[in-house]
Amino acid sequence: MTTSVDVSSGPVTTAPVVRRAWWRSRLEGATTPARLRLLLALLILLSLAWGVLAALTANQHASAAADVVAVSEPLSLDAEQIYTSLSDANATAASAFLAGGLEPAADRQRYQADITKAAIRIEAASALVGSSAARTELPGHLKNQASAAGSAVGDDLAMLSGQLPAYTDEVGTARADNRLGLPLGAAYLRAASALLRGTLLPAASDIYTRESALLTSASAQATGLPLIVIAVVAGLGLGYVLYRSSRWLSRHTHRVVNYGLLLAALAGLVSLVWLAGAFVAGRGDLLHAQQQGSGPAQAFARAEVAALQAHADESLTLIDNTGDDDYQKDYVKLQKLLGPGPGTLLAATGSSQAASQAQAWYRAHQALRAQDDAGNHPGAVAAAQTGDAARSFARLSTTLSEGKETHQAVFAASARNGRDAFTGLAVGMIVASLVMVTGCIWGLNRRLAEYR
Amino acid sequence: VNARLRPWRALAVVLTASGLALGAAAAAAAPGQPSARSGGHAARAVTAPAASTCDPKASSLRPAGPPQVTPGSFMAKIRARGYLVAGVDQSTYHFGFLNPLNGQIEGFDIDMIRAVATAIFGDASSAHLHLKAISDEQRKPDVMSGTVDIVAHTMTISCDRLKYLDFSSVYFDAHQRVLVLKNSKATSLDDLRGQKVCATTASDSVARIAAAKAIPVPVTYWTDCLVLLQQGDVAAISTDDAILDGLAAQDPWTKLIGPPIADEPYGLAISKQHPEFVRFVNAVLQQLRTNGQWAASYRHWIGTPVAPIPQAHYAG
Repeated sequence: MTTSVDVSSGPVTTAPVVRRAWWRSRLEGATTPARLRLLLALLILLSLAWGVLAALTANQHASAAADVVAVSEPLSLDAEQIYTSLSDANATAASAFLAGGLEPAADRQRYQADITKAAIRIEAASALVGSSAARTELPGHLKNQASAAGSAVGDDLAMLSGQLPAYTDEVGTARADNRLGLPLGAAYLRAASALLRGTLLPAASDIYTRESALLTSASAQATGLPLIVIAVVAGLGLGYVLYRSSRWLSRHTHRVVNYGLLLAALAGLVSLVWLAGAFVAGRGDLLHAQQQGSGPAQAFARAEVAALQAHADESLTLIDNTGDDDYQKDYVKLQKLLGPGPGTLLAATGSSQAASQAQAWYRAHQALRAQDDAGNHPGAVAAAQTGDAARSFARLSTTLSEGKETHQAVFAASARNGRDAFTGLAVGMIVASLVMVTGCIWGLNRRLAEYR
Repeated sequence: VNARLRPWRALAVVLTASGLALGAAAAAAAPGQPSARSGGHAARAVTAPAASTCDPKASSLRPAGPPQVTPGSFMAKIRARGYLVAGVDQSTYHFGFLNPLNGQIEGFDIDMIRAVATAIFGDASSAHLHLKAISDEQRKPDVMSGTVDIVAHTMTISCDRLKYLDFSSVYFDAHQRVLVLKNSKATSLDDLRGQKVCATTASDSVARIAAAKAIPVPVTYWTDCLVLLQQGDVAAISTDDAILDGLAAQDPWTKLIGPPIADEPYGLAISKQHPEFVRFVNAVLQQLRTNGQWAASYRHWIGTPVAPIPQAHYAG
């Protein structure tokens, strides 16, 4: 601050100041036009620097926000859909198998729809990873993370598209054998289920985990503070320089207002307010998208998948029908995971409706198991297909899938708003800095002209 | 596909290990048990454990006459309970399989066990028979723990198993053979050296496959073996012809090859705690042999010509 005062007051004295910088003595010895030219050069440089910094900041946030909306979100949504569809297909195939040769038409349609949905999502995700154009603009470490995840996700997707036909093939064989009344059908269904759980679901889960991590990183990048703080401080500094410059000018030229510098200052102010405002609005939307959207949606999706797997276990225990009870053990494990209770998947969803529906299903399942263990296999099968267990599971499944979809819609809307807040921001910053340059040149040239 | 089976195999190892542990525990407890048995049975208990004198086909207890539910016997307990619990197979065609057409477990083994239930309760109502489908490796632990009263599950009477279980007299004579695809050039197990051959975990076929220098691939059910054979993951399946016939019936593109590798006499397995039940079951089997029911079941499930009826030989 004191140095600026020295420069602007610029008293031409011969005071013996020893520690004076060379440029300061040069400046003090210079004529007013020379000083004006120097100031003009400085202001142009600072305006351009501001433009570059602001545009860079805007671009970082905009591309991270765009990645959230264009790549990470669709990919994790695809992965989630692949996982859910496959789990549902498995549960439905098992339930349809229980019915014997004449499987219910609704089950068959649901299985087909699940497989179609999974195939479409695998294809869509593959296309997204294949192009991943949006990711090339990602900044620094995020780009590296994205490309590493991209190749792993590519492998997973290749595995999925390769193994899905193998799975449907085994289910088809199981169905054909079952229709002929051959016990071989159950063996094929077990093999299909093992393939799905051992290979397909882990691949889908891997994609989901990676993309969720990227989504979090991209979101953090879009809402992160460091760069925006630097930009705002730089903008305020530039404003101060402009203010001091106009004070110096008015003192030396006896004109109150320099319209050129005023224009530059206004352009600077507008760009600063726009940048900060866009950031605050975008950050708010993206945080909302995460907290009210993707977070709860993830919780619902996890609970839904666990419920679907437990449902498949319920059917497979009846199909397998041996005291082997691998599938029943798995059901109990999933039941513990699902909750309700502290730290469980259902607790994470915060849905009391789902919690009570889950407990109703567990009770129905217990009754079903008791029936089966007492040797009433046909009764247990009936309960699993159309009875109490079937109905209570359907209610739980509906609640969970609706909860997931509601929050996914919240996420999509908020994330899109967040992305849109950054629209045109980088271009705007560059235009503003050019306006500032123009203003400075115009304003200072008018003063310079007076010396010609 | 092999990678997929690994979890099953790991599980199989665990179950086998726990089965062995159970067996060992029972063996350790055995010295104290003969005193708890009926007097007639104690005499046999002295001779049976000696492996050199063991004859699987003549190791059961002689029936005391026609089947009778004597007061205080295990049969009386079962009758009071209202149903007999039998451990059976659900995936072996023609012996014990879940018929998808009616949801019932049916087969030759089931006919045998149904006759036992009918003899206990005096009527053939299916309410008196609870069929519990179990895997091969559960047979021994389930009988020993009393989870099931009796096992009818294509179970070979072997000297090793006789240490832990009692068996009825032989109700079916099976022989281990080999099943391959019709285009296979192998003519016996010896031709399959170094190739993968499937069998169920805890079946006695696994050791014989290994002995023939083939690579045993253990799975849970015999139908799982057929899946692997059809998918080209194993070159052959080796087990009792009775089971292989059932698999061949589900896939006409397979054939049985080679001479019988070993005798596999089937018996109904019962806990050593209930010698009176063993005698009772043998009496029922004797009735089936003589009244034509055995032959009728054979004709119905396995076909004609009907094989010679295995005759009962008793040790005590």
